Amino acid sequence: MNGVYLIVIAILAAAAVVLVAALVSVTARYRADVRQRMRAIRDTRHPEKLTPDIEEKIRLSKKQLETTLDAITDLICVIDTDYRIARVNRSYADHVGKSVRDLPSEKCHEAFWGYKEMCTDCPARLTFETGLPGKKSNVLKRVRGEERLLEIEAYAVSDENDRVVNVIEHIRDVTDEKRMNEQLIRSEKLASIGIMTAGIAHEMNNPLSGISGTAVNMLKMPGKFGLNEKGLERVTMILECAARATMIMKDLLRFSQKQETVRLPTDLTALISKAAGTVRIPGGSRIKRTIDVQDDLPKVRCDPSKIEQVFVNVVTNSVQAILEKRRVTDNAAPAGESIHISARSIGDEVRIEITDNGIGIAPGMESKVFDPFFTTKGPGEGTGLGLSICHRIVEEHQGHIAAGSKDGLTTVTIVLPVGKDPWDEAGGQTLVTGKRGAHV
Amino acid sequence: MFKILAVDDEQAIRVMLQDFFEDTYDIRVAANGSEALALVRAEDFDLVISDINMPGLKGPELLSEIKKLKPRTKTMLMTAYNVDDYIRMAKEFNISNIIPKTVPFNYDEVGALVDGILTENVFGLERYLLGDGQIAKHYTIKSSEEGNAVREELTRVICEKFGSSGDVKLIVDEIITNAIYHAPARDDGSPKYREYAPVHLDPSEYVHVTWGYDAEKYGVSIVDMQGRLSKETVLYKIDRHVRGEGMLDDSGRGIHMSRLFADRMLINIKPGVKTEVIVMNYLSSGYRGYRPLYINEL
Repeated sequence: MNGVYLIVIAILAAAAVVLVAALVSVTARYRADVRQRMRAIRDTRHPEKLTPDIEEKIRLSKKQLETTLDAITDLICVIDTDYRIARVNRSYADHVGKSVRDLPSEKCHEAFWGYKEMCTDCPARLTFETGLPGKKSNVLKRVRGEERLLEIEAYAVSDENDRVVNVIEHIRDVTDEKRMNEQLIRSEKLASIGIMTAGIAHEMNNPLSGISGTAVNMLKMPGKFGLNEKGLERVTMILECAARATMIMKDLLRFSQKQETVRLPTDLTALISKAAGTVRIPGGSRIKRTIDVQDDLPKVRCDPSKIEQVFVNVVTNSVQAILEKRRVTDNAAPAGESIHISARSIGDEVRIEITDNGIGIAPGMESKVFDPFFTTKGPGEGTGLGLSICHRIVEEHQGHIAAGSKDGLTTVTIVLPVGKDPWDEAGGQTLVTGKRGAHV
Repeated sequence: MFKILAVDDEQAIRVMLQDFFEDTYDIRVAANGSEALALVRAEDFDLVISDINMPGLKGPELLSEIKKLKPRTKTMLMTAYNVDDYIRMAKEFNISNIIPKTVPFNYDEVGALVDGILTENVFGLERYLLGDGQIAKHYTIKSSEEGNAVREELTRVICEKFGSSGDVKLIVDEIITNAIYHAPARDDGSPKYREYAPVHLDPSEYVHVTWGYDAEKYGVSIVDMQGRLSKETVLYKIDRHVRGEGMLDDSGRGIHMSRLFADRMLINIKPGVKTEVIVMNYLSSGYRGYRPLYINEL
């Protein structure tokens, strides 16, 4: 699972680099373009010839650049040779808690770090001096009370004489990436310990089976072995010791298997929208899907891939229930078909409700739907295992799941404890983060 | 007297098997594959029980060599490892019985299996119950409706007697459903009844259910009188599911889940005559957590 996230992150990082490189060239081209137009305007010696048409083009071009910059969730800041801010994107402004319009002409070190003086190890300085990209890794910054790890890259924007006139700073928050990397290493270590433990436990099983098997024979057939009372007592002792050693081995095995289940503080919002979006069943695209998640929903300590599986299973059932209703009511032009997902935190728990207006659960069947092999679907449509798997997964998470139909609405309620462990308090980790969208 | 050969590189295991079986059978032991092969070449054995992991020739290879030398010899494997890891191998080497080396070694279980294989008398739950064990009730299911009633009653009675019925309801549900809907077939092999439709079975299609218990476990036997299941099919299905390949389809899910949920599952097949599935749950944890492979196709 972690591997997949790493790959996704690598792809995102590569995309960001490409985007920034494109920006450098777009910015340079844009500036050259503007310069050329200004020259053209000067050359005509008729400044009034700046027609509304050209003005509109410039305005559009400017707007386009702004939108592009604002769409990037990494921080972008263009500074001039005085280390004054020329332009920032929205993420940057949000990060420092100011508006995009207020920042230009502020000193970058002051805006970003609150320093009066220029930073001693400024990555932009080298870029101004040489025109080469500058980079600074593992920069620690406290952001809203939380230590974040940043990576700063600087790219040069030059004029026609190859003089660096601006530097674009690209600042990326790599905290989650780093933590995930650490987690991957940690889980790989645990996995190899697990494999080793399982190997040892099974290997020990062999001699233990011999010890206990021999002891049982001696107890059952004492005459055969010439055993007296004292001998029987000792053999009983051997058997008990073997049984205890076996218990330890079984616990070890269980422990080594337990390591396979991950518990990560997870943002359910992203999982929910992902699940709502991924379920595609022929005929299901017309169903209205709405999501209402409490803004400050606490992270839930869970196995994200398993919980995602739960959401996908439940949403799949909802879609199928709606399609089934459409089929039995011969409703050719479905209107008002909907699936609504809500999530709220209640005390130490998060309560997720998935409601549909499909065919519903027959009265008295509410508890049966979680039984393995229970299905109302035709052969090939489902195994009847979906909800029982959900049930097992939710139980594994010390949560509970229930289903019921009322007034034409069917709701599956999943309650998950937020959960805590010492590792969380030391900072925790968000494996899945929501992406803020931008309007282009 | 039947002649058996036990092969294991662990001396304690060889000796304990010898101690246990020598009063009932003519038992010989070998410490590895080549010793075993030499013995098999010199004498005829009715049954060879071999460990899987041994230096040199591994158990499955040894048994397949023995089958080549003496095709009539019956064979069994045993292992201290996870039986699930060997299902694919069992399929390849045509192995149908893998005994787990439980701690303490379960002589009663192994004794009953060995006896069944040697005498080709494998059917019946009572064979697998201890001396004090008893058959509690026998049912004959003649319709889908009776099938439902039987599983409700079984679950309730077992729950009342033992405090919990584990996942027995699910297993019984699945296996009775199989017996009613999947066993009866038309001449061309297609299923005769539509799943979950109310059906009345022909007398030749009646499903027989027996349950019983002894001091350490309870068990349920479900028999269909068709005998259409084959060992190969069972192994194929379990193997797919153990590897997670069958998660999204129906085929073989029931057999796999039943094996997963029960402490023991035995499948006895007399082709064209009858199929028996026996599931057993232990009352204490000692023999739980092992999932052996027991398939007897006569």
